[in-house]
Amino acid sequence: MAFYTLGLTFNLVIFLTVIVLAVWIYGIYFNFKKWGLGSTGYHDQLRNSFWLFLATWIHEAFKDGLWVFLRTVVLDVLLLRRTLARSPVRWVMHMSMFYGFLMLAALSGLGLMIDIVEHFNLLGLSAEAEMAKELLSLPFDIFGYLLLIGATIAVSRRFLLKFVRDNTSAYDAFLIGAVFLITVTGFYAEWMRGNSFLIGNAFEYPIYAPHFALIHTVLAIGLFALILPWSKYIHVIATPMTLLANRGGE
Amino acid sequence: MADQKGSKPLMTGYMMSTQLMEVDGCNRCQECMKWCPTFAVRQDRPGITPMYKNARWRELMAKSQSLRAKIFGPKPLTDDEMKVFTEDTYSCTTCGVCGTVCEAGIKTVELWEAMRPNLVKRGDGPVGKQPFFPKLIKGDRNPYMAKQEDRLCWIPKDAKVLDSGDLFYFAGCTAAYRQQALGVATVRILNKLNVDFAMLGKDEWCCASALIRTGQREVMAEHAVHNIDALKDGGAKNVLFACAGCLRNAAVDWPMWYEGYIPYETMPLSVFLREKIRKGEVEYKIPLNYRFTYHDPCHNGRHLMHLKGKDWSFEAPRDVVQSIPGVKFQEMVRNRALQRCCGAGGGVKAGIPDLAMDCAMARVQDATDIQAEVICSTCPFCRLNLIDGRNTAKSPIKMVDIVEMMAASMGLDTTIPENPYTKFQSQDVLVCSPVECKLDTVERKEPGKDLVGEAH
Repeated sequence: MAFYTLGLTFNLVIFLTVIVLAVWIYGIYFNFKKWGLGSTGYHDQLRNSFWLFLATWIHEAFKDGLWVFLRTVVLDVLLLRRTLARSPVRWVMHMSMFYGFLMLAALSGLGLMIDIVEHFNLLGLSAEAEMAKELLSLPFDIFGYLLLIGATIAVSRRFLLKFVRDNTSAYDAFLIGAVFLITVTGFYAEWMRGNSFLIGNAFEYPIYAPHFALIHTVLAIGLFALILPWSKYIHVIATPMTLLANRGGE
Repeated sequence: MADQKGSKPLMTGYMMSTQLMEVDGCNRCQECMKWCPTFAVRQDRPGITPMYKNARWRELMAKSQSLRAKIFGPKPLTDDEMKVFTEDTYSCTTCGVCGTVCEAGIKTVELWEAMRPNLVKRGDGPVGKQPFFPKLIKGDRNPYMAKQEDRLCWIPKDAKVLDSGDLFYFAGCTAAYRQQALGVATVRILNKLNVDFAMLGKDEWCCASALIRTGQREVMAEHAVHNIDALKDGGAKNVLFACAGCLRNAAVDWPMWYEGYIPYETMPLSVFLREKIRKGEVEYKIPLNYRFTYHDPCHNGRHLMHLKGKDWSFEAPRDVVQSIPGVKFQEMVRNRALQRCCGAGGGVKAGIPDLAMDCAMARVQDATDIQAEVICSTCPFCRLNLIDGRNTAKSPIKMVDIVEMMAASMGLDTTIPENPYTKFQSQDVLVCSPVECKLDTVERKEPGKDLVGEAH
């Protein structure tokens, strides 16, 4: 399908991808350097160093040994044990969004790799690459629905629960709203292509499908690569790192 | 409006780099807000909750450390915003329940205690009477303006207390000067059980908890090093604490200020006594026919559970209480790791007393809800604040320490010898005949005398 419309060429997309990744990586570096303004230990002297932040984090994360680190990765980062202990509903929401987003991001990366193989006919695998892309459509749908479930719970909680609603800031509303919007636009873009999982061709409109897909992509990249590292949404990175540094808070 | 102080950026020096990361790790799940004891009594001030404090810190730090600040230059911090943030940061009892429920696993107690010295250094904190702590503690080595020579003035003449030995009892300033019934009960029980123990006497300096809790660290090193050296010189291998605040400081804070080897173990007195009970060495004589509930002190519970284990932190004192004949025991709805703070901690009692009072009244209400007649605990400061809350709420509930309960039930004479501090005693006490014990209240005879007595 013709994805590269509206003047976008393959090379331009690759170039923009590199730019976005560079901004993302610099954003992470910027935050690590900011965190490096702290000390390396209790009432230790200041070092103000990106590298010493990393060293401090590694020291804290592995303080109780590799086994505790791995246990924290599995129980606290991957299974969100602490969230489950407090609220099963919130756990379902977080797990859906976490794995939905993570897998969609991974699948998108994989899709890009396959695109490159197809475009340059690397190793003569152009035809196989096209077939592989077709195979990705089902997992894309499944994890898309997972993300949609999580995003829907998140938005519903903010509307329906008074305590949660009263303490929702503009930041919260923007982040959750943006995630919801990106998810919905992603689905709609997929539906416009026709023959979609569960929907069939009810919303088929292939002429404008690439345009809508582009809107979805720009929104996703805008939020997760250009806004996330530069705003409070850095918690997407900082929270798992905190869990690891504090050995799950236990 | 920016002023001269406003030209200073937010200080970060007392925070570890991983703690700066923790601030950004808050995912605003709001769980802390549901449990925060100060927010529960100040619903109009969400700024005092951990989630909002983290958000505020981020905003203040962004004024000098964001991408915008790097490109266009830093913005000055204003007096007003720093005043609000300082009040919010000090309106926290550092009870740690937010850390217990935090989805991101943020170690909140350590985080607040690292934020505060930055505010102190910048000239924004501390608040209320808290600035008196360093001067008092450095000058008198206790927060009560009492004489160090009087540390053991309450010891009964027939009691046996050694100067050195394997086992030490670290009484703490409050048991020495303000709640001497606790000290007398402890000494009497240990003597009755034929336990040889030593005390530091005038070499026992304040644990300096108040300094750490309020971000005033300058005198802390002297006290930590002095107390550890004194215990080492005395030959200590095990040190018992009947004060939760002293125990937390000795177990968690002192070692961070001491560079040498520490040869002794720190132990809650309740754990030591439970062992004696289990071995059948404790003989009770008088039943305590009251409905009791147990209030977990934060310093002995949440603050220590990761270091000493939940059994030592939560179960040992309950086992002691329930071993006493006649006791009818019931838990409050919020107990153990999720208990509600009494409101005295973190310097709040001295810094923002009306907030401490409201928290205490909420905790007394927790006990009232289960029809408890007596709240027992292992922290003199919880007891002091809960008594104040009880008095304000005009509740008939009494507060006692579990050590005093044991001593009373064992039929021990816990009369406090007359001493220069007798007039400052303010506590509920158990008055026993050979067949029964009654709870009585000793009113503080010189109210308001303590300048910053509420030091933890």
